[in-house]
This record gives sequence, structure tokens and C-alpha cells, in this order.
Amino acid sequence: MPQQRPETATGIHGWGVYIPRFRIKMEDIAREWGWSDSQWKALAMIEKAIAGPDEDSTTMGLEAAANAMKRAGVDPGDVGAVFFGTESKPYAVKPSATIIAEALGVTPVTMASDLEFACRAASEGLRASLGLVASGMVKYAIIIGSDTAQANPGDVLEFTASSGAAAYVVGPSPGSAAVFEGSYSYVTDTPDFWRREGTPYPRHGEGFTGEPAYFAHIIGAARGLMNTLGLKPSDFKYAVFHQPNGRFPLKVGEMLGFKPEQLKAGIVTPLIGNTYNASALIGLARILDNAAPGDRILVAPFGSGAGSDAYSIIVTDAVEEKRNKAPKVDELVSKKIMINYSTYAKFRHMIRVVRE
Amino acid sequence: MAYITGVSMVNVDRHYDKGVKRLAAEASSKALEDAEPDTLDYIIVSSSFTYASDVQLDIASYIASYTGFRGVRALAVESGEASGLAAVSVAKSLIDSGLASRVLVVGVDKLSEWPTWKVYGHFSKFYDVEGEGMYSIGMGGIAGILMRLYMETFKVDRLTLAYWPALMHSNAKLNPYAMLRFAITPEKVLEAPPVADPITLLDSFPLGDGAAALVIEGSGRGNVLAELVAVESATGYPSIALPEDPLRFESLERAYQRLTQRADIKEVDVIELHDSFTIMGILELESLRLAERGKAAEAVSRGYFSLGGEGPVVNPSGGLKARGHPIGATGVYQVVEVALQLGGEFPGLKVPDSRHGLAVSVNGSGSSAYIAYLRSVG
Amino acid sequence: MAGFSAPAVWRGRTHRYRLVAGKCTSCGKLHYPPSYSCPYCGSRSMVEAELPRVGRLMSYSVVYSVPFDSKSRAPVILGLVDLGVARVISEITDASPEDVSVGMQVEAVFRRIAEDGGTGLIVYGIKFRPVKGA
Ligand SMILES: [Zn+2]
Repeated sequence: MPQQRPETATGIHGWGVYIPRFRIKMEDIAREWGWSDSQWKALAMIEKAIAGPDEDSTTMGLEAAANAMKRAGVDPGDVGAVFFGTESKPYAVKPSATIIAEALGVTPVTMASDLEFACRAASEGLRASLGLVASGMVKYAIIIGSDTAQANPGDVLEFTASSGAAAYVVGPSPGSAAVFEGSYSYVTDTPDFWRREGTPYPRHGEGFTGEPAYFAHIIGAARGLMNTLGLKPSDFKYAVFHQPNGRFPLKVGEMLGFKPEQLKAGIVTPLIGNTYNASALIGLARILDNAAPGDRILVAPFGSGAGSDAYSIIVTDAVEEKRNKAPKVDELVSKKIMINYSTYAKFRHMIRVVRE
Repeated sequence: MAYITGVSMVNVDRHYDKGVKRLAAEASSKALEDAEPDTLDYIIVSSSFTYASDVQLDIASYIASYTGFRGVRALAVESGEASGLAAVSVAKSLIDSGLASRVLVVGVDKLSEWPTWKVYGHFSKFYDVEGEGMYSIGMGGIAGILMRLYMETFKVDRLTLAYWPALMHSNAKLNPYAMLRFAITPEKVLEAPPVADPITLLDSFPLGDGAAALVIEGSGRGNVLAELVAVESATGYPSIALPEDPLRFESLERAYQRLTQRADIKEVDVIELHDSFTIMGILELESLRLAERGKAAEAVSRGYFSLGGEGPVVNPSGGLKARGHPIGATGVYQVVEVALQLGGEFPGLKVPDSRHGLAVSVNGSGSSAYIAYLRSVG
Repeated sequence: MAGFSAPAVWRGRTHRYRLVAGKCTSCGKLHYPPSYSCPYCGSRSMVEAELPRVGRLMSYSVVYSVPFDSKSRAPVILGLVDLGVARVISEITDASPEDVSVGMQVEAVFRRIAEDGGTGLIVYGIKFRPVKGA
């Protein structure tokens, strides 16, 4: 009998999402920068979420983590790790993870750090947490993906770069809402998207972010996982991938052999934009909001630079009683306040203000 | 016994050409005109913004030497917006105790030194900086909450409350020391830009500089303007979130109660009170029981507190609203004004035959309150 | 609030982050922020207690005259929030003046409440927002 994979000793005890209420329509961005509407329609985008002027990745991350803790119902003192994945840190130096840990009441006996790997940092935190939990080094770990994504005004990236957060409480498999079956990571040095130290906006390789980056790495991770576990796409009820726009996750799913009905439940980007570190994780949360016990889910976040992790998760009975303990993704998506381009530009610090 | 024997005020305005020491020196030297500097036992300086905005420490000593009183005992008193009356209360204690026989009180502050966006930040320090002072209170945020609560609780409309600033502007027209000497209608108050809605610009004190000084002596020989009978004070809740009824200033009620125990106050002819914002003036009148709760605005609107009305004349100077509110100086202005009224020498709107007067100061939303009772000596 | 010290920001973190009030063991009343003594009975025997996160807006002011660092969210809505066991003064966020009314339900959210210019510390803490989304 083959040895048990360590992941199987772990599960998701709580999931939580935060989406800021402000939204801007694609038309407004297109009109401001002289894009034709076909540009954003090709990205399958409708609106994107924008953090308010008093929000940042830390505040959104805390709200998501607090929602995850409501579902998990675990004692904050039993949390042994807080990992915060972002590429929009409020402080270049000073962890956000400690602020969130403090606000959750998890401090001081805990690991806490901010991770960076473009949109994949939180996913790396998740996989590392599975190891920590499986080994017994920590009982519960909180993994947070949160971004107030930056895009150079006028860059095509501006249609999708948005704000949002997702968080997961991972712990021993007993009592969890979903257990892990396996995981697989796939990384290479692929410079498809980057932001240099001290610069406000990222640069990217346009089409180069696609085939050699997004598609190659997600396919590498997902196929690797399925080969390892001896599973095929039809064995999964749902598959959710990083979603930089509304189109890519459908395309990569199709390339892997998934059918649209397996993919649609996890695609949230058209309504809120690409929340970067939270992108695939909000998709997974939406699936957990609706999944039935026994459902198997493939989730594969991606980060530029580049890498992807694929996870196989099986939903348990506990999902039912947990899902109503915090706001669901659809509720958060529907609570919105429309703003225009100038308000969005002010909120996201795109207007240069000189201060003391 | 304590008597006010010399007074002086600088007109409240934007004195860009004069610093804090200069304004204080002008007020001090005028108040002491005919007194020998070396007979002065103490200078009590009242200043608040000087600290809030990091201008000068040990301000009392520097004012003393700058004015030409090097050698005198000097100390500064700070109690936020109530600093001026706090300084008067310290001066009176020195006189009453016999430690001093002649004390100069000078209040001074400058609000025109910095841009308004910076001054608004300083204003938040009137409130608990570990509590609501951490938030963006700006100018009038807390008073705005009180005003809306008052309107909702007592079903008082905005226009009724606008009679206060109209009365203040009307009173200030004749006061050569007032910053705003033009009449306004209640309707104009509602049309003015919002500062902290429902508070408009015309409900709010103007940002000006000022200095006022007075001499208090233990014996009433010479030119006595008025007797400073008693000064009382009390501390109150540090936030309007704490009392069951936020529309009562417990500190002022208590200070007034203490004052009435200390002095037999049968009637009041004139009051200078702390109307930094319309609602503050209204709530103070009610705390002093000069109007029923919820009824002060209505009483103001029908002239009850105007010259010739049934009640005491309130703020014949124009009050903080129209005379101005140079923070640490304000309480000193108020006592000077009341003393001048009682002595029949006020250069603005005179309250004829006034014999009993009060001056009232409150910091923030009532963290402290001071009240002084003056009596004519004629 | 501008020009505040790192130790001051640090000292207040618990009550700001978690809406922790002081609870008097003598009279049982709660107050925020926690004080050394009970504002109601004077007792110095205090424990900490987290406040409810949903309350009712008792009154508010729409503040236009704000310090420069608050300008991006002007006008700032400052509210008196009744949480049942205690009241707090806080900012009302995610709302325009026309969205706000006395008596409305508001919920606590974790936000940036102040920052020390562009290079100093960010102060995090609780604000409130309408429970009803737009
Ligand atoms: Zn008590």
C-alpha cells in the first residue's frame, strides 16, 4: 500500500472573502483612455472592484480572514501561522501579517509573514501550511491573499487590475469542510510580468503573459497533480484557476480537458476584476459556498514570474453548516457602489498628491 | 476679594505682522498702563495653540521678558479652549490666598499662522487623542453630531438655530475688537457653505489671532472696573459617547452649581459664553438653566437673550461666533468684556445698568468647563 | 491625527483593532476607549471586553473642514454609534452623505483611520459602514 500523502491529513476549516463595495464599469475606463469596447469585451469583463480610500491589502485581508475565522470557529490561540500573500503591500518594509494576526487575536505565539510571488504568494503560503499542519508543527494556519492591484493608467491591465481578498483557515482534516487530497507545484523563471523596486506600476509582456507563462504553468501543475493522483478531468466536479480576465480560466480549463460547466462556478473575475492573490481563492470560495459534500475540486492559482500550484480538494459534510456563518461571495459581489473614473483614480492614488 | 483694575484687548483679526509675544505684549502693556511693573507679583499666561502647534515652550517667561517685566513670577495655564478662564481662576486663587496682590492675566493665540487644513488637525487635539481625536474630527465634527442630535431630539429646525449667529453678528457690529462686524440673516446662515453639516460656516467661529489682558488686584483702591467674585470649574466626560445624555454638559452644570454655592447669584444681566459653534451656545444656555431643555434656540429666535429682551443679554461682544475665538485668549476676552459692561465702559453694544455678569468657557464637548461671576462695584 | 509616535500607535492597537472597551467590574458598565478608571462609578477595577460590531447611528456630522490627510475621503462622515452596551465616535465609511440617516444600522469594518503623512505610520482601526450595501 502506497504511503499516505501528507496533504490528506489537512483540510479547510474556514474560508472567507472580502470585496470592497466600489465598482467601475469597463466602458468608463475605455472611454477615458481611448480603447474600443471590443478591447474589454474580449477579456470577458463587465466591472471591477475598487478599494476605498481608507482600504488597503491589509484591511481587506483582515476582513477576509475574520470571515474565514467565523466559519472555522477555531480558537485564535490555536492558530500557529499567518501567511499574507500580496503584491500591493501598504509598507514596503513592515509585515501586514502581524497587523492581521494582532487584529484576529492570534498574537504573539505564531508564525507570521508576508509572502511575495506576484499573484501566487498566498498559494505558496497555502501549500507550506499544509506541510506545517500535516507535520503537527502548527494546529491551524491562516492564509490570506489580498491585493489592491496596480495598473498603469491607460495600460490594458487597467481593465482587470482590481481589489479584493480571500482567506483560508487550514488545519487537521477531521472537522474540516474540505480535505486536501494532493498538491503539486510548478515554477520556472519566466519574466512575463514584473514591477521594479520603487516603481508604482507593473510592466508585462502582453501576449507573453499567456502561452509561456499562464497556460504553461497552470497546465504543468494541473497535469502533474492529476498524474500523481491518477485522476482525470472528469473525476472533478469543479475546476478553478487563476483568473486574470474572464477568458483565460475557461481557455486553460478547456486545454486541460475540463467542460465549461465544471469551470463556470468558480469564475468571478468578470464582475469584480482580477484580485491577483485572491483571484483563484475567491473562485474556490464561491464553489465552497455552493458545493455539496463529496464534490472534488481542482484549484490552481498562478503567479507571474512564474509558477502555479494545483490542489485537489474533496468537500465534506461540514461544508453545509459552515457556509452560512459568513457572507457568501455572491452577496459580496452584489453589494456595490458605482463610481466614475475620477473617483476611482483618486481612491487608488493615481492622482499625485503632495503631502508634508 | 479680587478686583479687576485694568483691561485691554487687541482686535481679533489676522495679525500676520505680529507674533504671539508681540500680541501678548501689546495687550499686557495697555492693561497695565498706569501700574508700576515692579508692583506686579505674577503674570499668568493663557495659551493653547502655542503648544498644539509647537511654537514655543515656557511661553509665560518669554512674554514677561519681551514685555519688559523680567524678574516677575510667570507661569502658563493650558486648558484647551477653556484656557483663558482657567488662567483667570489661577490668578484669583493667588490673590485670594494672599500670595499675590496684583496679577496680570494675558491670553494669546494665533490661528492665522498656518493653513486651515493644518489648523483643523490641531483642533482634533481638543478631544481625547486616544479616542475620537484619532479620527478626522476637523473643525466642528463633534459639535455637528451634537447639533443634529439636538435637532432630532427636540424637533428643532435648522432655521430656528440660525437665529443665534444672526444675533451674534448683530451684537458684534458695534464692537471695535470683533473680527466679524457685519449683519447676517438667519436665512444666510443656512445658505453658507457647510463646515460640519448641519453646521455651516456662519455657525462657526472665525480663525483669527488675538490677545487680551486684565489686572486682578486684592484691594479695590484706584480704578476698579468690577469685582471678580468667584471662578469655578469642573471636569466632565472625555467624550460625548460616554454620558447617557450627550446634550448635557455635566462639567458646566457642576461648575455652575459650585459657583452658586460659593456666591449668592440673584440675577444675571450679561453673559459672555462659549459659542464656538451655534449648538455650543444653545447647550450652554440650557446647562445654565437659562432656558428649558430644547427651548433655548426658540428663546433666542424671539429675542429673549437680545438687548431689551426678558433674559440676560448674551454675548453683547458678538461671542466666539463674531468677536472671534483665539483659543487661549478667548476666556480672557470674555472676562474683560463682562468687566467693561459692569463698569459701563464696554465700547460696543452696552448693556445698561448691568450689575451682574458671567463668563463661561468649555473645552471641546465639555471635558472641562469654567465659569466666572463678576459684580459691579458701583 | 498627524505627527503621532510609533509607541502611541502601538499602545492603542488592541482597542483600535478589535473594538475592545473597558468594562468596570464594580458597576458593570462599558466604555470606549478603555480608561484607567470607570467614567461612571470611578472604580479602577477594569477588565477588557470586545464591543458588538453592529449598532445604530445615533447622530452624525458631514465634515468638510478636514485636515489634509483626510482630503481623499472628504467630506468625512463622523458618527455617534450606539452599540447597545456602549457608544463610540467613529467614522462612517463606504457611504456618501445621502446614504446616511439617523437610526440606520451600521457595522464595524477594519480600515486605515489615519496616517502620518506619506512616509510615517498608518494607523489602522475600526470604522463603521452602512449594513445595507448601496
Ligand atoms: Zn463602574
